[in-house]
Amino acid sequence: MASYLHPASLNEFQRYRQANAILGNTSRATSPDWYKRALDLGFQLHIRIDGISISTFYHDHKNGTWESGPTLTDEHLRNPPSLESLLPGILKHVRSFGAKSLGVVLHIADEFATAELSPAATSTESLEELRAASHSSPSSILADSSIPADQASWRIMPYTSGRHGPVGTAICLTRQWDAFLTAFRTIGEEENFPVVTQGLSAPLVALQGLGRVLNPTAERPFVAILQYPWFTAMAFFNEHANLVLIRSLQHRGLRRPTNFRHALTTTSASLELMDPDLYLAQLGQSVDQTLCADLKLTFPNQRVEEIRQADHADFPAWAPEPLISTSEESQLLQSGTFDALREQKWATQDFLPPINEAQEIYPEQGEMKMLRAFKFTRLALCALVLLTIIWASLQIIYIFNQPAWWFSPSEAASTKQKVARFTQEKKKVDYWDNMLADRSKAWISMESLARLFPEGSGLQLKAYSYAARPEATPGQAMTGFSKEWKITGLAKEEALEYLNTLNTREGIASHFDQIAKITGNEAYQTELPTRSLIVNIRTLENASFKTNSDADVQVKGESSFPFTFDLTITQRFEGTDPMAINAAKAP
Amino acid sequence: MYKQPIIFFGLLLPLLAAVALIGAVLYGKSEMEASFTEKSRLYAGFEMTRKTAMGLEKLVADKRPDLERWTESMSQQPSSEVTRQLRNISATLPAKELQLTASDTPSGTGLGALSAQKSSLLRMAFRGSFRTMQKAFLELETKMPQLQLQELKIEPSQNQSSLLNFQVTYSAWEN
Repeated sequence: MASYLHPASLNEFQRYRQANAILGNTSRATSPDWYKRALDLGFQLHIRIDGISISTFYHDHKNGTWESGPTLTDEHLRNPPSLESLLPGILKHVRSFGAKSLGVVLHIADEFATAELSPAATSTESLEELRAASHSSPSSILADSSIPADQASWRIMPYTSGRHGPVGTAICLTRQWDAFLTAFRTIGEEENFPVVTQGLSAPLVALQGLGRVLNPTAERPFVAILQYPWFTAMAFFNEHANLVLIRSLQHRGLRRPTNFRHALTTTSASLELMDPDLYLAQLGQSVDQTLCADLKLTFPNQRVEEIRQADHADFPAWAPEPLISTSEESQLLQSGTFDALREQKWATQDFLPPINEAQEIYPEQGEMKMLRAFKFTRLALCALVLLTIIWASLQIIYIFNQPAWWFSPSEAASTKQKVARFTQEKKKVDYWDNMLADRSKAWISMESLARLFPEGSGLQLKAYSYAARPEATPGQAMTGFSKEWKITGLAKEEALEYLNTLNTREGIASHFDQIAKITGNEAYQTELPTRSLIVNIRTLENASFKTNSDADVQVKGESSFPFTFDLTITQRFEGTDPMAINAAKAP
Repeated sequence: MYKQPIIFFGLLLPLLAAVALIGAVLYGKSEMEASFTEKSRLYAGFEMTRKTAMGLEKLVADKRPDLERWTESMSQQPSSEVTRQLRNISATLPAKELQLTASDTPSGTGLGALSAQKSSLLRMAFRGSFRTMQKAFLELETKMPQLQLQELKIEPSQNQSSLLNFQVTYSAWEN
């Protein structure tokens, strides 16, 4: 088993490491049983000691079953090392029941002492504050300052009568069984098996049990007399069944206290309890069996009864405390005292808790839960970080796989230089494409002429002239130009209709488009809006025309043509035309 | 006694470390993305430029032989180049139907008058048949695209009725 140090001797980081070690090596974070009361655990070992006998019982709290416990001797109780051989067997037995933890409840029935509370403390502090002070600084609440309070274990038992008087009393038990219970806790820690101990004052538990069995006379006070082998406890109740005083009388080697009747009478009188009922509980195998009969004789006018608190086949009637402490039966007797004993657990106060230093070695339940929750939080954070890294890595891998990431600006510079070079070269190409365009060619003009006046058309040419001229368009990058054809000739009468057809926009355009189609020359295309085509044909009578001439002369001579014509065609190209001439110098 | 160290070492410190780590990763990633965005922008520009360059290169490459031929042709004296070309053309056509009767280089620039590009005029007179002359002009103008027809006059020949007189003036671009 790992040994842990008290956190006060560790620095902050060492404390954290120790807490983590406890988290990893123990079930404290996962088993809440480590932090429960022994009486709240599912499987319990009840040990009752009354100075004469030691009784042990296993109790399955879930099923409500009881069975005999291990045999313990006085040597086992007073010399814990002698338990070492016994404890593993006890835990093995407990585990055989499927128990996940063990609550060890020690019912201390061999001692019971009371002390008055300081009036100063009871007047200023609440019951809860008194209860806390009884744990931490009992001397501050005791009336007798000479009592060595720190050497014993003190707890508060409140009085709930509501009358003027003390609000409660202090119950004292020695710490003689501390080592015995520590041995149980130690084996639990060694085996990582929750073993929780609780040291109860048997008389207080028996007092709580009275509420289940007593049926006192109405409007009459009563006294519960709890007979233990070594002492007798007397609990005085008023007519409302509220506790007004509890005290004990030691037997000092006898079977009953020597001044018992006197003490009973004087205490009742001082508490102004008139003829209280007397209820006797014999809580030991060897207690005085004649006391009840004696009391009946001594107090003939009072109700004197013997009560049995344990009614269980497997359970001795003189040891009812284990049954009472685990019972969840409802109270028969309703009063402030019995309600408080049960609900506020005054009867089951732990007189022998682990010392603070031992308790503080281990983190509290909340701290263990926090530690465990933070462990998962850290795992979630790790997952989040990991996912973030994976996500970012995927993004980075994606980026790395993009050609853009490996792109060097120097490549762009060389490409830009290429583009600049090619652009310059293209400008030159475009420039010369424009300048060398077939805008004015002799062979096409001749083809146009030949097709304009085909053989046998009744037309004879006399002269043909063509001229191209640039047209000034100041400030423009491109210069328009015009082309003009002047054709003179002779015409027979049958050719006049053809000439008239030519002398229309559609007629001459049809001829130009035909030339463009045949020769592939774009300059003859007429549909562009940047071009215009004008035709003018003037037809006159031929002054030298002779009607009776020789047939041969008529065919070839000018006098055989009754008409002359004068054809002028003008084609203009604007500066925005694709064939306009570039005004700039070659780049 | 454990609460404070548990909170500090168990939660706050890992939380701070995780936040720092995630922050560093996100910062690094965002820096990288910013760099990548800038590079992508440059790369997109580069890609566009590269495609433009490829398109231009193809275009220019297709035209380059023409341009070289044109440049070579235009670097010659127009009149001597025309003479040389005509001599070659005449060899393939009937000599009687293609007779160069005169040639000169008048002053002026013709169609190139309004262009800053250098040009000169070239005037020639021919006697020949219509179709042969047309073929000769086709050959000449194909081999010398810098020739732009400035003027063309066609008249019947006074002496030989089957032939025509041609007077042609070209405006020739010069390099």
